[in-house]
Amino acid sequence: MLRCSLCGRQAAYNRRYAGVLLCDRCLVKSVERKFRRSVAEHSLISPSEKIAVAVSGGKDSVSCMHMLADYCGKKNCELVAITVDEGVKGYRGESVRIARENTELLGVPHFVVSFKQAFGVTLDEMVRIAEKKKTGFGPCTYCGVMRRSLLNQAARELGAQKLATAHNLDDEVQTIMLNYIRADFSRLYRLGPAYPAREGFVPRIKPLREVPEKEMALYALLKKINVHLGVCPYAGGIHSEIRDFINRLEENHTNSKFMMLRMFDRMKPQLLGAVPEFDMKKCERCGEPTSSESCKACELLEGLGFAKSVDLKLIPPAHF
Amino acid sequence: MAGQRTRKLKVIGKTKVADVLKKLGLARETVAVKLNGKIAPEEETVKDKDKLEVLLVVTGG
Repeated sequence: MLRCSLCGRQAAYNRRYAGVLLCDRCLVKSVERKFRRSVAEHSLISPSEKIAVAVSGGKDSVSCMHMLADYCGKKNCELVAITVDEGVKGYRGESVRIARENTELLGVPHFVVSFKQAFGVTLDEMVRIAEKKKTGFGPCTYCGVMRRSLLNQAARELGAQKLATAHNLDDEVQTIMLNYIRADFSRLYRLGPAYPAREGFVPRIKPLREVPEKEMALYALLKKINVHLGVCPYAGGIHSEIRDFINRLEENHTNSKFMMLRMFDRMKPQLLGAVPEFDMKKCERCGEPTSSESCKACELLEGLGFAKSVDLKLIPPAHF
Repeated sequence: MAGQRTRKLKVIGKTKVADVLKKLGLARETVAVKLNGKIAPEEETVKDKDKLEVLLVVTGG
């Protein structure tokens, strides 16, 4: 039997990138410590702030909410949860139910906003129309743009000072590589543990940026947190290829993920000023903040033959 | 869990969980394993009659 390098109990995990074996208790403690260290190092949360957390029902977002609930309780912060129901048949329903179950368990007010309610069309419908119209955009483009837009609007309407997302180390490294491959300098440049405040945007924070995805899964399992482990029917394409490639790299060359993140973080200050600052404008169609005449969500919806019409109806559940 | 499948594998000599995962074509970064009901590191040795559960935890989407 292998033993924990820290306390000698039965080991549950080999943290190869650090060269230590950890038992269940030490792993849980270590993940929570990484969360707190990220929050402190990057000043992600100030006392008494109102924090909105994006919760899909998956292992990362639900675990993130559990850690935030504990942290916010100690720092006198207010926590609210936002779930976006994109309208993916056979997938999202169950995860929304699990998100709700966890918010009730923690006593966190929970708000669900849906694509159907906000835009009059579900993601499934968007994908079908996009295929028919040959727009050239895949499901992840529609989902990502619309979801970010709705989360920002909901967080702003709720008066949140920060919007926490559960992006983990794997997500961050995959995004760095994706932006390299697409030569998308402006998106690459903006990546980091926190996005600065800009008019109309609620600053986003990523307290789990230094936790590998596998450790997030083990955390949820060890803490017996009920999470949704379903697979999105639209998952695939370049995102999956990058994920598989990086995981293979990590398996054969331990610590590759952290090295990629560290290198990017070291390079980032050198890039200061490389991207010209732009003035924030209001989208001429919906009024949301944008760098051009209309926001990306409105552009995509127009391409599908819809006008953006946001009706968030942010009514908390009766018991709150 | 949905999509559950059971396979019986013969282990010879000192076989590690990591060897079993390799045999199944699974990347250790994408799974959590339970050995006889307890979450275990991939370096743990698997013996005859042991029960190994492999949970796919990195699924994307």
